Amino acid sequence: MRKVRADLHLHTCLSPCGDGEMRATAIVKQACQVGLDMIGICDHNSAENVSAVMKAGVREGLAVIPGIEVTSQEEVHILGLFRTERDLMHLQDMVYENLPGENDEQAFGPQLVVDEWDRVVGTNRKLLIGATTLTVEQIVEAIHRHRGLAIAAHIDRERFSLIGQLGFIPKGLELDALEVSRPSSAKRDYDYPMVTFSDAHLLEDIGKSPTCFVVEEPSFGEIEKALHCEGQRRIVTGKMEDLSLHILDIAENSISASAGRIVIRIDEDQANNLLTIEITDDGRGMDEETLKKALDPFFTTRTTRRVGLGLSLLAQAARQSDGKFDLSSVPDEGTTVKATFRLSHPDCKPMGDIGETIRTLVTAHPEIDFLYEHKKDNSTYRFDTRETDKK
Amino acid sequence: MKLTELVQKLNLGVRSAKGSLERRITGGYASDLLSDVLAHSKEGDLWITLQIHHNIVAVASMKDLAGIVLVNGREPEQETIEKAETENIVIMVSELPTFELAGRLYGLGVRGMK
Repeated sequence: MRKVRADLHLHTCLSPCGDGEMRATAIVKQACQVGLDMIGICDHNSAENVSAVMKAGVREGLAVIPGIEVTSQEEVHILGLFRTERDLMHLQDMVYENLPGENDEQAFGPQLVVDEWDRVVGTNRKLLIGATTLTVEQIVEAIHRHRGLAIAAHIDRERFSLIGQLGFIPKGLELDALEVSRPSSAKRDYDYPMVTFSDAHLLEDIGKSPTCFVVEEPSFGEIEKALHCEGQRRIVTGKMEDLSLHILDIAENSISASAGRIVIRIDEDQANNLLTIEITDDGRGMDEETLKKALDPFFTTRTTRRVGLGLSLLAQAARQSDGKFDLSSVPDEGTTVKATFRLSHPDCKPMGDIGETIRTLVTAHPEIDFLYEHKKDNSTYRFDTRETDKK
Repeated sequence: MKLTELVQKLNLGVRSAKGSLERRITGGYASDLLSDVLAHSKEGDLWITLQIHHNIVAVASMKDLAGIVLVNGREPEQETIEKAETENIVIMVSELPTFELAGRLYGLGVRGMK
């Protein structure tokens, strides 16, 4: 299992309100640069740019989920995410059959269709900004009929949201999740999984409020499982910058470096106002050149991108709270990552659910030995998988 | 004023809960954002909207509104009618648009504010 940062609600220049720069390659490059593992394309009432972005995604090594944002007759926005482009195209047919009107470029903006190299290849004439004649229920049912995921978009906004338009979530509506635009709105209790996506209409908004999933890989099937809480998969609750998630990232790096044993030591020393996190593995290690590159956030060879990012994010977190970061590694012997934080510093990130991180690691990788040692002032908690179930 | 009088004077169609037409209306509210109606309408209000989703019945019931008028000739969904019968909420329909209907109600003495 690994942490996947996903922003599954992005617009392209096909949406009348989408910026002209929101084209296939530009979107994919920006998403890679801000460290996303996966994006979803959801233009208003159309999916004609999805194929271009998916092709750019394949070229650049980024997972792209095909999707659409449908406007219901109640003027509620519903996101549909799909397993395949084919499924999505079936839904688009239904939307087109029920979408009256023609676009007025002067009033609403152009609706550009592009190819994977960002060249304009056409214009969509439909009134994509308008509402379909389909009810919320019909849309959700159709999305499911085509094996998709139905998510009520930005329910924390008044405009075009399920709650704003219809007051509350209609009884029995089988949504797979609710999307909020601000992570703080996710705190309210609903009977549905909550996700945050950026709803980006501009390049610089991509990845602004992604959702982190703990899944096997960035794919539609895995996200579906995470939303339905299958296996160990889940949505990461709480703030994604929790230190426990950084630890998960670093430990996953160790696993990709073929480690057999990983030692995670946490020392919360209130008396000295110091938090120390140390992760040591016996993996293949890094030579000096790789070591230097590892801390560059844009160290992006396709297979190791996440490695570089995890380390640089932890280093940044440590520095922000007036701490230190140290990375040492010997080829064929292993790697040690050590980060310190000043506990009282206002920018010191919360630990988050470290128990869940350890549980995820241990259950997902039974073949690896883990030692987890957590010191809090004078007491120490120790958990060693060698002492438990290795018989 | 009673709902029966309004139905007659404004030529409204009645789609549900005919038994409750004797109810007296004490005010009026017009909005298509149900969250807004939940927040700002008052008990006894006649509510003008173009939303036909069945959630309108729940909103009217929760706020104890006197009735709902759908405008522009829009007809309620079947599910909406069924729910309205159960909840005893009067749903009426008018060919007029919201602005025009609200104006005529005002002319008949219905007020949105005290």
